[in-house]
Amino acid sequence: MECFSLLRTDVPALIDHLGAFGEVVAPHAKGDVSYSFETVGDSSLVVLDYNRTLLPLKKEFLPPVEKLVSFSLNDLTSTPVEIPIEPKVYFAIHSYEMQSILRLDHSMLSGNVESNYLKRRTKSRFVGISFTPDEFHFSESVGIAIEDMEGFDLFLNEVDGDYQLYVLTENGRLLIHGFNKLKTAEPEIVEGREFKTKIRYHYNRLPRVFQYAYHSDVWAEVASRCVSCGACNLTCPTCFCFDVNDEVTITAEDGKRQRSWDSCMLSTFAEVAGGENFRENTINRTRHRLYRKFKYITDEEGLPWCVGCGRCTAFCPAGISLPEIVNDLIHEDEQAQLHQRVSV
Amino acid sequence: MKRFEDVKLDEAQDLYFPTMCKVTQAKQITDMEKWYELEMPEGQDLGHSPGQFVEVSAFGIGEAPISISSAPHNNGRFELCIRQVGVLTNVLKKYEAGDSLGIRGPYGKGFPIEKLLGKDILIIAGGIGLVPLRSLINYVLDNRTDFGRLIILYGAKTPNELLFKEEIAEWIARDDVEFHVTVDQGDENWTGNTGVITTLIPGLDLNLNTTIAAITGPPIMYKFVIMSLKSKQLADDQIYVSLERRMKCGVGKCGHCQINGVYCCQEGPVFNYADIKPLEEAF
Ligand SMILES: Cc1cc2nc3c(=O)[nH]c(=O)nc-3n(C[C@H](O)[C@H](O)[C@H](O)COP(=O)(O)OP(=O)(O)OC[C@H]3O[C@@H](n4cnc5c(N)ncnc54)[C@H](O)[C@@H]3O)c2cc1C
Ligand code: SF4
Ligand code: SF4
Ligand code: FES
Repeated sequence: MECFSLLRTDVPALIDHLGAFGEVVAPHAKGDVSYSFETVGDSSLVVLDYNRTLLPLKKEFLPPVEKLVSFSLNDLTSTPVEIPIEPKVYFAIHSYEMQSILRLDHSMLSGNVESNYLKRRTKSRFVGISFTPDEFHFSESVGIAIEDMEGFDLFLNEVDGDYQLYVLTENGRLLIHGFNKLKTAEPEIVEGREFKTKIRYHYNRLPRVFQYAYHSDVWAEVASRCVSCGACNLTCPTCFCFDVNDEVTITAEDGKRQRSWDSCMLSTFAEVAGGENFRENTINRTRHRLYRKFKYITDEEGLPWCVGCGRCTAFCPAGISLPEIVNDLIHEDEQAQLHQRVSV
Repeated sequence: MKRFEDVKLDEAQDLYFPTMCKVTQAKQITDMEKWYELEMPEGQDLGHSPGQFVEVSAFGIGEAPISISSAPHNNGRFELCIRQVGVLTNVLKKYEAGDSLGIRGPYGKGFPIEKLLGKDILIIAGGIGLVPLRSLINYVLDNRTDFGRLIILYGAKTPNELLFKEEIAEWIARDDVEFHVTVDQGDENWTGNTGVITTLIPGLDLNLNTTIAAITGPPIMYKFVIMSLKSKQLADDQIYVSLERRMKCGVGKCGHCQINGVYCCQEGPVFNYADIKPLEEAF
């Protein structure tokens, strides 16, 4: 692994250099407090110090609304959608975000391999960047360090206001080929980037907690505050559920079948014909969301399907905090064990 | 964990693109249900096993999961039977012979035929639940010597709602089929059994060692039927159920069909009761 030093003032030049490979997508400021991943037009507008974007990077690979099939109602023929394979560089990506893409890879490519997703993913390159955790980040609790470089081709670690650039893959080496503002450096360890929010247990102790949490009182307490808006799912980088619907043009001659992000927190999500609903109340839906993050896929893959980005907490209108729910479950589990010991 | 690097581009599929199939026959068989025979575009085999389903689409309206009602054939044709309950199913009502429908599939896991060979088959169908089970019934009849007894319990709300009446008459006429029917509410012509489907179970004389039960019906039915079978001492793993869930993709991606952590479209819709029993959201 090579390491170089890079001046903060030279970062725009690096972005311009990466543009030779393909479109560069990077965080941009939206209004005063919000950030968004956007295609870079002017590299000086890219924001290097951001807490999180509202929408996760998954929007690039699994767009919020995506055409699946186009059809003609005149002759009832349909055409599959061609997804071009385009070289793209995703720049200034946080480690938890990269981990969410690795989890999406699993979700979309295991079992039936989905071509739409795979084609978008094929020529993507990732440049990571370190960040300073705010009150919502807790990725360390789910096993993702700020400097976790898995999945990245290049990684920028901030050291005293400037950067150290790590070259992690052959693709990364090709990306910086010919860029002459780098100086060979010794990797430095940065101290003091502490997480303010934590899940009290190491994530490998959580399967036990979730094994016994199905009938916990915590669900009802959380559900009593939840307004079932679905924002937590829509902003989550590892949620991938979708709805499918047909849209016909105004001439009623042709149209498209499209999918759009969906949310298991919405009351209609698990409804079937005849009005039966398998997760009718908010308690069941809240539990399902958390079990998707910490139990169902985790049991098979050994990793939480939550990457600790803090979005679901930061953007929940009811102030419902995911790490708080998990800590409450842990507390309840401890109480139950204590009770058991006492009564034995 | 499946990694991006391990997947090759040529493994990828256009998962959501339907194949157009021609409707060769169509018939409204009750007030609410229409039966269709469809043909694959090149006359190829659909290649399904009893209990599997397809996603049926009408462009401009949408898609719905529908069970394949016919037994596997090699003639490129298969049958569906659709109850008109909502937007799409009411549009499908207008489809007649000569029209084309989009089909994706077959999807899901059907009945594990190899485990049923040589066994007594007890079919318990409530209402539209006969549609998927008909594929199994006809499979057993097509391969009659491979199975033991074939016992069919069928319940509908009223005599009017009974599906496949002509076929039922044939089943009744056969001496290698034990057919029992009940309706919740009879009419002036009804001389048969009235009462819910569970009333047919206590009178059954089952060989516990060799009987496999297959149940499909409205969600409410399962609990009571299973209770009844348990009181007959049938073991959990001798019971199969086909479950209904909302399905949008049919291929394990959209998340709608999950029963706790299990994707109904992938690991179901047919489940062994012993496997699905621990899941709290199953029934
Ligand atoms: C594996 C499987 C096999 C099935 N086999 C058959 C069959 O052989 N014959 C048959 O008539 N029906 C079958 N169904 C049910 C059928 O899919 C629904 O009746 C159909 O989706 C309703 O579509 P609609 O657009 O007409 O109804 P809608 O207008 O969408 O709605 C009617 C009601 O159904 C609910 N609903 C909407 N979409 C679905 C969905 N995808 N699945 C279930 N409920 C939904 C709605 O919430 C509403 O309560 C099967 C369902 C499953 C899961
Ligand atoms: S964002 Fe908050 S209020 Fe909205 S569904 Fe999620 S937990 Fe409930
Ligand atoms: S569950 Fe919440 S904190 Fe975890 S990855 Fe999703 S949005 Fe981020
Ligand atoms: S129907 Fe989409 S995951 Fe099962």
